[in-house]
Amino acid sequence: MKKIILLLAMSLFITACEDLDQVPSNIANSDSLTDFEGVLNAAYFYQLGSVTPMAVMGDFRADNALMIEEPFPSFDRFNSDLIVMEDQFFEPFYIALYRSILSANNVIENSANTTDVGEAKFLRALSYFKLVRVFGDVTVNLSSGDLSLDLTRQPAADIYNNIIIPDLQDAISVLNNSGLSNGRATQIAAQGLLGKVYMQIGDFTSAESHLAAVVNGAADAGVTLQANFADIFGDANDLNSEILFATQVSSSIPDEYGFTEFTGWYIGNDSKSFEPLDLDLVAAFDAAGDVNRKALTVDEDAVRGIKYLSENPDQDWIELRLADVILLYAEALNENNNGDGSQSATILSLLDDIRTRAGLASLSGTANTQIEVRQAIADERRLELAFEGQRWFDLVRTGTVDVEMGETVNPNYYVFPIPDSEILASNGIITQNPGY
Amino acid sequence: MKRLLVKFKSFLMFTLLLLYHFNSYAQQGYELTGIVTSVETNTPIPGVSVLVKGTSNGTVTDFDGKYTIQVSSGDVLQFTYIGLTTQTITISNQTTLNVKMEEDSEALEEIVVVGYGTRKKSHNTGAIAQVKGSDVAAIQATRVDEALAGKLSGVLIQNQNPEPGANPKIQVRAASSLSGDSGPLIIVDGYQISGNLATVNPSDIESLEVLKDAASAAIYGANGANGVILVTTKKGKSGRPQFSYNSFISISNKYRKNILKSGPEWAAFSRQEIAAGNWDLSQIDPAFVEYRLRAYENSPGAISPEDWLFRTGVTTNHDFSMSGGSENSKFFGSVGYQNAEGVAITQGFERFNARLNIDTQSGEKFKAGLSFNGFASRRDILAHDMRDLLRAYGVHPVYHTAESIAFVQALDAEAQGLGLSPFDDGYRGGIGPTSIYELQPGDRVDDWHYGRDNNGIGGSGDAGPAQKLDNADAWQKVYFANLSSYIQYEIMDGLFLKTALGGDFNNTQNYYYQGLGADSRARTDQTDLDESTRNASSILSTTTLNYNKLIGKHDIDAVIGYEFLNNYITGTSLVGTNVPNSDIINYNLLNPEDITTTETEITRARKSVFGRVQYAYDNRYLVSASLRRDGDSRFGANKQYGVFPAMSLGWNVHNENFWKSNALSLLKLRFSTGSLGTSSFLNDFDAQSLLNPIPTVFGTGFGISGNVNNPDLTWQTNTETNYGIDLGFVNNRFRLSVDYYNSDIEDMLIGSTVSYTTVGQPSIIVNNGDMTSSGLELELSASLIQNENFTWDINANLATVNTEITDLDNVDELPQIQYGQSGRGPIFRNYVGGEIGEMWGLETIGEVEMRFLEDPTRHPNNTSGESYVVDQNGDGVIDSDDYVKIGQATPDFYWGLNSSISYKAFDFSMQWQGSHGAEVYNIDPLYYESQWSGRLVDTFDANDDGIADHNGEHYIGNRRQTDHGIQDASYIALRNLTIGYTLNRELISKIGLNSLRIYAASTNLLYIWGDDYTSYNPEGIETGNSGYAGPTTYGVQVGASPIIRSFTFGLNVNF
Repeated sequence: MKKIILLLAMSLFITACEDLDQVPSNIANSDSLTDFEGVLNAAYFYQLGSVTPMAVMGDFRADNALMIEEPFPSFDRFNSDLIVMEDQFFEPFYIALYRSILSANNVIENSANTTDVGEAKFLRALSYFKLVRVFGDVTVNLSSGDLSLDLTRQPAADIYNNIIIPDLQDAISVLNNSGLSNGRATQIAAQGLLGKVYMQIGDFTSAESHLAAVVNGAADAGVTLQANFADIFGDANDLNSEILFATQVSSSIPDEYGFTEFTGWYIGNDSKSFEPLDLDLVAAFDAAGDVNRKALTVDEDAVRGIKYLSENPDQDWIELRLADVILLYAEALNENNNGDGSQSATILSLLDDIRTRAGLASLSGTANTQIEVRQAIADERRLELAFEGQRWFDLVRTGTVDVEMGETVNPNYYVFPIPDSEILASNGIITQNPGY
Repeated sequence: MKRLLVKFKSFLMFTLLLLYHFNSYAQQGYELTGIVTSVETNTPIPGVSVLVKGTSNGTVTDFDGKYTIQVSSGDVLQFTYIGLTTQTITISNQTTLNVKMEEDSEALEEIVVVGYGTRKKSHNTGAIAQVKGSDVAAIQATRVDEALAGKLSGVLIQNQNPEPGANPKIQVRAASSLSGDSGPLIIVDGYQISGNLATVNPSDIESLEVLKDAASAAIYGANGANGVILVTTKKGKSGRPQFSYNSFISISNKYRKNILKSGPEWAAFSRQEIAAGNWDLSQIDPAFVEYRLRAYENSPGAISPEDWLFRTGVTTNHDFSMSGGSENSKFFGSVGYQNAEGVAITQGFERFNARLNIDTQSGEKFKAGLSFNGFASRRDILAHDMRDLLRAYGVHPVYHTAESIAFVQALDAEAQGLGLSPFDDGYRGGIGPTSIYELQPGDRVDDWHYGRDNNGIGGSGDAGPAQKLDNADAWQKVYFANLSSYIQYEIMDGLFLKTALGGDFNNTQNYYYQGLGADSRARTDQTDLDESTRNASSILSTTTLNYNKLIGKHDIDAVIGYEFLNNYITGTSLVGTNVPNSDIINYNLLNPEDITTTETEITRARKSVFGRVQYAYDNRYLVSASLRRDGDSRFGANKQYGVFPAMSLGWNVHNENFWKSNALSLLKLRFSTGSLGTSSFLNDFDAQSLLNPIPTVFGTGFGISGNVNNPDLTWQTNTETNYGIDLGFVNNRFRLSVDYYNSDIEDMLIGSTVSYTTVGQPSIIVNNGDMTSSGLELELSASLIQNENFTWDINANLATVNTEITDLDNVDELPQIQYGQSGRGPIFRNYVGGEIGEMWGLETIGEVEMRFLEDPTRHPNNTSGESYVVDQNGDGVIDSDDYVKIGQATPDFYWGLNSSISYKAFDFSMQWQGSHGAEVYNIDPLYYESQWSGRLVDTFDANDDGIADHNGEHYIGNRRQTDHGIQDASYIALRNLTIGYTLNRELISKIGLNSLRIYAASTNLLYIWGDDYTSYNPEGIETGNSGYAGPTTYGVQVGASPIIRSFTFGLNVNF
C-alpha cells in the first residue's frame, strides 16, 4: 500500500504541466489590438529617423553647407561615390519612413477613430513626400505588413496622385487645428503641406488655392509669424506660433538614428565636417544686406551654422512653418498671375512681414518681371530657410541646380542612392537610381 | 567577492553539516585488521572501501592495503573497489582478515552515457565522442570547454572571443542551420541547464560525452540537432571521506607582439621611404613635412595604444572537493573560486562554483538522490570597442605631463609660424580644457591637443582612448542555481521506474555606462546608463520506465518516458540617457523622463514522450531504435508537434567464431540514421506578430513588429545518416575509428532577408529551403608504451566539413547581405549549389602605391586606402557584376593531436589543435591603415573616371567590397602543455596526504597563423553587430580580442 501511494505521488510530478499556448500578457498583438493610439504614436516616432538625413541632404548637398573633410567629400561631388554614405543617411532615412508608413497604414486600415486616421494619413503623405523627393520612384506599401508586396518602384507621379494628394485631402477634411498646441497633425498643416506638394509637381493653380487658404486662415487657427526671427528656433521656442508642423525631438526619447544629430552637423560637430559653412551662403546674406538674419544663422568666423544655438538634442525639426507657406504662396501667385509682370509689386509685398522682421525693406518695386520676381522670392527663401533642410530640394524643384551651384550637375544626381541593402533584399526588383 | 561568498555561505554550512553526519558512527565490538591484495598482481590495494553492511561504520585501506575496523561477531563486511568484484564476508570472531580481490570483467567494460541511460561501449552503434574527467583534470584549464579543444573528433572548439568569462564557439559537425546559434545542447546529469559549460567546474567532471550523430541525439529530438554534450559529474563513494584541493596561478599575455607603428617608428619609416624615393612629397611644403616628422619623433611620453591597452593578466584558482558516505548514502561536494584578469585593462572574470551530489538507498528497492549546482560570476567587460581604442594614434601620452603640455604648446607656436591654423580651433566641446594653454598635468589627452591633420599630428578629432575608456564601464553578473532530485523504484528485477524533478534559476544582470567624457563633444545624448536584469527559471520533470536485463545471449535495454520543461523568463531593462557628469553614477541622478524601461515576460513550454530499445545479441549483433515526439509552444499554432525517429545497427565482427585474426583484434561496423529537430535559436514569439513598445513624445507607442503571424512556423528537420567502422590492432593497443556522415536539413528556419518596405524589418524567420552537409571523421589512438614506469598514449583526430545549399524554395539565392562595420565588409551570398555564407567582392591586384598620395606622412600606419581591382566582365565599369568569391569562413578540415606520457612520477601532456582553409574578412586594417588617409594626387586620375592614368587599371577604396580584407584564418595551436610531478607517496603519507602533484602548464605556448593574417586572433569572428544573421554572415572580424598565451603553476592535493 505504501508503495502504491508513493507511485501515485511520483506520477503527480508528471501531471503538473501547461498546454503549449504562449501569449505574453504585456505586449500588444497586432491582431487583437482595438485601440490604435499607440500605433499612431509610433508613426510619429519613426519620423525622427528621417530628420538628420533630411537636414544633411537639404543643405550639405546644396550651396549652404560643405562636407569636404577627406575622405568624405562625396556630398559635395556629384558622382557615384555618394553611395558610401548610405549607412549614415539614406538607409536610416528609408527605414524610418517606411516604418512610419507601416504604422500609419495599420491605423488607417484598422482604427475606428477618424481623427487618428486623419493624422495617420497626414504622416503617410509626409513620409511618401519625403521619400519621393529624395529617391524619385519608390516602392509603395499601403498595408500594415505584406510579405508578398510588389516591390517594383512606382512612378513618383502616381504616388503623388494616388497617395500623397488624396491622403492630405482626407486629412484636411477630418482634422481640426487643436493639435497645434501639442504638435500633432492638424488641418492647417495638411493644407499647407498639400500646397507645398502641388508646388513640387508644378500644379501652381491647385497650390495657390491651398496656400491661400493657409495664409488667410492662419490667424484664425492661431498661427502667426513670430515677431523676432530668433524666437522661431531653439529648445525654448519649440511649438511656437509660427510652426505648422514639426517633428518633435526630445533627448528623453531615444530615436533609432545612431549618428550626429542635425544640430551637430550645422555647428560643425561631426568629424566629417568641422567647418560646414559654405561661404556662398555668407555671400548671399551680404549681397542682400541681410545683417540680422545672417547674425542669427552663421557664426562670426564664418565657419559654422548657428541657427540652433548649440548641439542641443531637444530642438524640434521644423517640417513646415508659416514663413515657408507665405514664400510658396508668393511663388505660386507669380507663376499663375504674373506672366506680364503686372502683379510684381503686389506679390512681393506678401513678403513684407518676413522682410520687416529681418530688418529689411520691402521688395516691392525692386523687381518687375515674372523672372525677376521668381529670383527675388528664391533668394528670400534661401536666407529665410537656410539650415532647415530645404535648399537642395528647392533648387531641384525650380530647376536652378546648375545656375546656383555654378557647375553642370548630371540630373542623375538630383536624387539620392537607394540603400544597397534594399536592392539586395529584393533580389534586384528594387533598382538603383541611374548613376549610382 | 564578499557578496558572492555570502550567497553561498548557507550552502557551505549545509555541506559541513552533512559531512559531520556521514562521519559520526558508533564504536563497538572489537578491532579487526587485515590486508587487501590483488589476485592478479598479488600486491596490496590501497583505497579499498571496507564497510560493515547496514551501518555507516567503514574505513579505507591505507597505502599498504592495510585496514583496521571495529566489528562485532556476525557483522557482514563488504569490500568494494572500482573495477574489482565486490566481496562480502561474515565475521565470526576472527581478529585478522586478509582478502584477495579480483578484476570484475563486467565492470571493466567501458560504458558510454547516452541520453536517458547508458550503453556498453562495445554495444554502441552511434557516433559518440567521450572524454574522461581524468583527462580534463590532467591538463590545467580555466573552464571545461577549454580542456576539450582538439580532444574530440568532429567537435570544433574555438576562441571566438578569448576575453575571460566569454564563451568559446562549440560546433559539433557541420552547422545544422543557416540561422542563429549553432551551439550544442548541454545536459548536466540529465538536466538541460539554462547556464552554459562555464557553470560546471572542470574539477567536478566524471565524464563527458558528445552525441554527434542524429541517431544518438534523436532521443533529445527537438533540441539535438546541434549535437548534445552530456556532462556527468562526480558522485560520492562510500568509505573514508576523500578530500581534494586544486590550486593554480597563471599569468597571461596577448600572444602577438604589437602590430601598429608608434609615432617615432612611423617617422623613421617615413624618412626611409622619402630617402628611397618611394614617396612623392613634391606637393607639400618641405618645412611642413619636417615639422610633422619631428613632432612624431619628439612627442614626450608618446605611447602606442597597444602598450596602453594590453597588460599581463593574473589568474588564480582554488577548488576544493570532498566525497564519501556510508553504504546507503554517498555524497560529493565541491566549491571552486577563480579570479581572472584579462590581457586588456579592465577585463576580468570572477566566479564561484559549488556542487553537491547526494545519492541514497533505502532497502533494496528505492534509490533517491539530490544534486545542487550553484554558480556566481562577475565579468568585467572592456566597455569600449577595442578596434576604436586601438585606432587612436600612438603619438601622444594617455595623460598629459608637464613635458607633453609644453610640447603641444611649442608645436602650436611652430604651426602658427608656418602659417597654419591654431590648435585651439580643433576644440569642439568636451569636458576637458577648451584651450591647450589651459592644460594641467594629469588631464586626459584628446586628439585635438596635437592639432589636426592639416596643422599637426593629432588624429580624428575624437576623444583620446583614455577619455573613452575611463568614462565607460560594462559588466555582467550571473547567479545560477540548479537543484534536481530523483526517486527510483525497482518494480521487479531489471524494471525501474524513475522520476526526476528539477528546478533551475538563472539571474543575469548586464550593466553599461558611457559618460559625458567618452564623447569628444560631451553631448549628453551620447551618454548611456543601461542596466538589465533577466530572471529565467525552469521546471523539468522526467519520468522513465527502464527495463534492463541480460537473458542468456540477449542484452536488452529499453526505456520509455515522458518529460515536460517549462521556462519562465522575466526581465526588466533600463536605458538611461542624459547622464550627468559625476563621479558617482546612479539612476537617481537622471531625469525620470530620460529612463526608458522595457519589461519582458515569457512563458515557454515543451512536452515530450520518447522511447528507445537497445538490443544486443551475443555481443555480436547490435540494434537500437528510438522515437521522440516533441511539442514546443514557440512554434505556430498549427505545427507545434514534431516526431523524430532514429535507428542504428552494429556488428562486432571480431566476436564471430570465424574471426581468427589476432592482428586485427577489433572490427566493428556501425550504421545509424535518424531525424532531429532544431529550435534552439528560435525566439519566443517568432510565430506571432507583437508590437514592440517604444517611448514617444505622445506616450507609449506600439512600434513595428519584429515578425508576422505565422501559424505554420515549424521545426526544421535534420535527417542524418552515419557510417562508422572501428578497428583495433594488437590487442587494441592501436585503434582507428572512421565515421562518415551525410545530413539533409529540410524546412530550414531562416532569418529571411526582406525589403524594409514589406514589414519594416530586415528579416523574418521562415521555414524555407534545404541544405546538405557531410563530413569525414578519423580518430586514431595508440598506447605506444605501456609498462610499469613508462606509459605513452597518443590520440589524433581529424574532421572535414562540407555544406551545400540544395534548395531555397522559389528562389535560387537568398538576398545578399553586406555585413561588417559601417559599410565595410564583404557581400555574403547563399545560393543553391553554394556553401553557406560565401564571401563575395572585387578582386584586387595590389594596393595603390603610397607615392600617389598627396601627403603620405599624414598619420601613422597610413596607406593609400585604395587598390587596383579587376573588371571581371570587361565592361569598363566596376560594379557588383564584377564580384567574385573572395573567401569562406568554414575550414576545409581541422584536427587535434593529444599526447600523454607518464614516466615514473612525471606526467607530460600536450594538446594540439589545427584548422585549415578558413578565411576571415578582417575589418581592422581599414581603420588602422586608411581610415583617414589623404587624397590621391590629381594626376593619378585626372578625369575622375575611376581608372588610374599611369597604368590604366581600375581602382577603388579598400573599404568597399574588395578582397583587401580577406586573410587566411588557418592556424596550428599548442593549446595546452602540462608537465606534472607527483611526489613520493610514502613521503607525503607521513604528513597525512594521499597524493600531491605539482604541475606547470602553458596554453598557446606556440601559435602559428597564416602569413597574411595581420591581427591578433584568426579565430575571432564578430557576431554582435547589427545585421548579423548566423552562419549566412559568418566570417567578419572587427577588433577581435587577442589570442592569449598563459603560463600556469599549480598543485593537486588529495587527502
